[in-house]
Amino acid sequence: MWLLLACLPGMCLASPAEFDARAVVSGLKREVPARTPYVEVRFSQMFSRPMVTRGELEYLGAGRLGKRVDEPYQETTTIADGEVTVQRGSRKPRRIELERVPELDGFLRGFSALLGGDVAALEEHFHIAGSADANHWRLEFAPRDARLARRIKAIAVDGQASAARCFSIIEADGDASIMLVEQQAAQPLPQPLTRIRLERSCQQGSASR
Amino acid sequence: MTARARRLGLLLAWLAALVLLAWYCITGIRISTDLRSFMPPAQTADQQLLMEQIGEGPGSRLLMLAIGGGEMDRLAQLSRELLRTLRADAHFSQVINGEFNADMLDPQWLPYRYLLTSSFDAQPLDEAVLADQLQQRVEDLGSPAATLLKPLLPRDPTLEVLALAEQWSPPKSPQVRDGVWFSPENEALLLVQTRAAGFDPAAQGEAIAALESAFASITTPNDQAKLTISGPGYFTVLVNASTRAESEWLGRISTIGFILLLLLAYRSVAVLGLAALPIASGALAGVAAIALMFGEMHGITLAFGFTLLGVAQEYPIRLLSHRRAGESALQSVRGLWSLLLTAIASACIAYLAFFASGVTGLMQLAVFTISGLLVAGFSTRYLLPRVLPEKFRDAAQTPGLGRVWEWLEALPRPRWLPPALLLLAALMLWLAPAPFWQNDLAALTPVPKDLLQREGRLRAALGAPDVRYLLIIEGKDAEGVLRESERVSPRIDELIARGVLDGAELPSRYLPSVETQRQRQARLPDPAELPAMLQAASAGLPFREDLFEPFLADVAKARTLEALTPAMFAKSPLGARLDAMLMKRGDHWLGLGSIIGMHDAQAFAELTRESNGAVRLLDIKGASESLVAAYRERILHAFGIAIVLLVLTVFIAFRDVHRAWHVLAPMTLATILVLAVLRFAGTPLSLFHLVALTLAAGLGLHYALFFERSTPDAAEARRTLHATLVCVISALLVFALLALSSIPVLRAIGLTVSLGVGFHFCLSILMARKGRARSA
Repeated sequence: MWLLLACLPGMCLASPAEFDARAVVSGLKREVPARTPYVEVRFSQMFSRPMVTRGELEYLGAGRLGKRVDEPYQETTTIADGEVTVQRGSRKPRRIELERVPELDGFLRGFSALLGGDVAALEEHFHIAGSADANHWRLEFAPRDARLARRIKAIAVDGQASAARCFSIIEADGDASIMLVEQQAAQPLPQPLTRIRLERSCQQGSASR
Repeated sequence: MTARARRLGLLLAWLAALVLLAWYCITGIRISTDLRSFMPPAQTADQQLLMEQIGEGPGSRLLMLAIGGGEMDRLAQLSRELLRTLRADAHFSQVINGEFNADMLDPQWLPYRYLLTSSFDAQPLDEAVLADQLQQRVEDLGSPAATLLKPLLPRDPTLEVLALAEQWSPPKSPQVRDGVWFSPENEALLLVQTRAAGFDPAAQGEAIAALESAFASITTPNDQAKLTISGPGYFTVLVNASTRAESEWLGRISTIGFILLLLLAYRSVAVLGLAALPIASGALAGVAAIALMFGEMHGITLAFGFTLLGVAQEYPIRLLSHRRAGESALQSVRGLWSLLLTAIASACIAYLAFFASGVTGLMQLAVFTISGLLVAGFSTRYLLPRVLPEKFRDAAQTPGLGRVWEWLEALPRPRWLPPALLLLAALMLWLAPAPFWQNDLAALTPVPKDLLQREGRLRAALGAPDVRYLLIIEGKDAEGVLRESERVSPRIDELIARGVLDGAELPSRYLPSVETQRQRQARLPDPAELPAMLQAASAGLPFREDLFEPFLADVAKARTLEALTPAMFAKSPLGARLDAMLMKRGDHWLGLGSIIGMHDAQAFAELTRESNGAVRLLDIKGASESLVAAYRERILHAFGIAIVLLVLTVFIAFRDVHRAWHVLAPMTLATILVLAVLRFAGTPLSLFHLVALTLAAGLGLHYALFFERSTPDAAEARRTLHATLVCVISALLVFALLALSSIPVLRAIGLTVSLGVGFHFCLSILMARKGRARSA
């Protein structure tokens, strides 16, 4: 069934029929609590250079996520019980109820399902497509919700075997945020830091040589 | 044959005249439904304001909408579509559903945000503030909300548009889900302000119809969503419709009963139709007279007027019952005319007192009733006898009538009875529970309890303003009002913190004073220095160098803008909202603030004292009740004078103290008894009771006049009884049915007239007849 979806026109990423994206997603499942350091690189039309932040991602089970930014500023985002709490430095924490912003809710649910290896929950919010070669696979998730699709074009995950290397959020206006996780986060960033080089390093599993 | 042709000709001419009159009435008059035109002229500035605000205050023009039943996504979508449809509709001055949309600030208005926002009042927009803001934006762009904020950033890096949207959303707003308001019961909520006054049922009816058709146009047949409307305007429409429906329903039954009664009494279909002509002529003449003198007639005048004109139905009945063998209808009417004329003249002279009251509504009522009674009376005297068929049945021959007459004659008439009744009435009045008067006119047309509960629930969910209280802010001009509003705003915040009220909406929330705007303008960074400041503030941040060009342009523009005045602001999407909050009154201006959830009105006294009365609380309910009380006082004065005039007229007509006493005593005693019974039963009296009492007294005057009349023979006495019985039964048919109504205002009129007719009839028989027998 999902293979059919994956091969809808425009969504097919030259996937060989034997590539099983579901199995890959299931393989991403981690024991909770799962923590990983990350390096996030934002490419935006608003920025003259990529913006790099570092911190730690935390997955505490279905619908519960944490993201801590350590550099270049301090921020902790917690998602739990349908509420996002953002704490910045010593400022008063801000809370957003996810029910109020359904598109954000869908996005985070999908993301959480991805980390939990929950294929069914993921498919509820996204169309899944994928491709693979010898030592790399790439999954792409396009939002089903039209409002979310107006903002987010796709979430992509690059990895190898049962390890993810990069999570990319590709926004509808072309901006992108690429987040290097697990072992990839420890790799030096390609220099000069461009989107193409970073994407290549996500495919190849190390800084482009 | 020629007599018959003449009769037919006259009848046709009469009908043609009525048609012409009806045409004149329909084209020449406007029926106003606005309650205010029936109120006394305002004496003080606050009363005048009250008159305008009854129904026009921001709270009372508000309709609350809830869309429930269905998936949340669909409800939110319907809410957005309804908002768009209604915004394009001229019936509504404001429609909000909690949605933030950038159109609220049209691009051409965007530079004004730096004059409207209070963000930089404490700390001006300097390098430190800007650096902090820009750093926060970098962080925002890394957060899940990034995609929502991105479009705003280049022009508005400090997000003033969002700050203003928050400032302009209602002080206590409901939960937002999927971008629109939702109630805890999962209904999408909207607030709509009508242009029409809240208590103008016709205009509100139009607005509500527009609402319903707008909703119908956006829903599909398989939508389960239902629109629920609540608010003062909706209740006005609803209550009016149910009152009308019930009175029409009762009216139809009593009309059938009345027709059957007349057929039974006179055994002629032709007579039935002809008997309606004088009262129809009277009613049309009354309306035409008002059209001629005022051009506009109030709905209440029409209702009261028709009630009072009910007396005129007696005239043709008297004529029909008193016809006898060997005498033409014309001769019969001549025999009755002196008494009828006394009745008509005394009623008309009494109603002159209403004309002198100076209240437009009462003057209209007087004009309507006087001209109606005169035309009905004179057409009974001069036209009706000439069109009646020659064949008739003598009422004196009605089977059983003779026995009733003898039984009535044989009734004991103890002399102690009237004083005893008077004493009893005095005792009942003395013991009656308080309050004597019903000042809350709304209590007479109550809103069903479940609707009131829904209203309370929606009002709480939406944080909608109180209908009862308004905050008045006075200034010598609009600017003065806005300054005072700014000055008092922190004081009101203190009161909110103390729990005196839940929230308030002041004019300065929408538009700061010109003074404040100029101060803000002066504090904005110099356009020559801003680029350098921006560069310093964004040092170390990744923003593209030219990204904030639109921001620089807006700040530079804001420095040169002319400060917004209410007149300029009126053209903005929020202009209508502010416009409803500011008004010119003679040589000064008033600002109207709405109050949300008042808990302690007394606490505002302090604020009033501090501002030397420039800021004060208007209690619309309290003030309108005092207005009703003042109005009733005027009516009572008019009544007092009317009674004196009536008594004088009767004395002058009789030129006999004894006979006049026998007519007036039963009428007076019966009126007192009705009052005593109503009050003893715990009914607080209202204007409607007073009007009903007047009608009953008018009918009672007829009973007493005719019973008091000395009759040449027993047959004529039976005819008097016949006429009176037909009158009594027909009045009871109409009003006893009304007394059974579920609507208090109809019940008030029905019960009062029914009781009155009963008492007047009994006392006339006992007291007026007795007088005749003794003097005979």
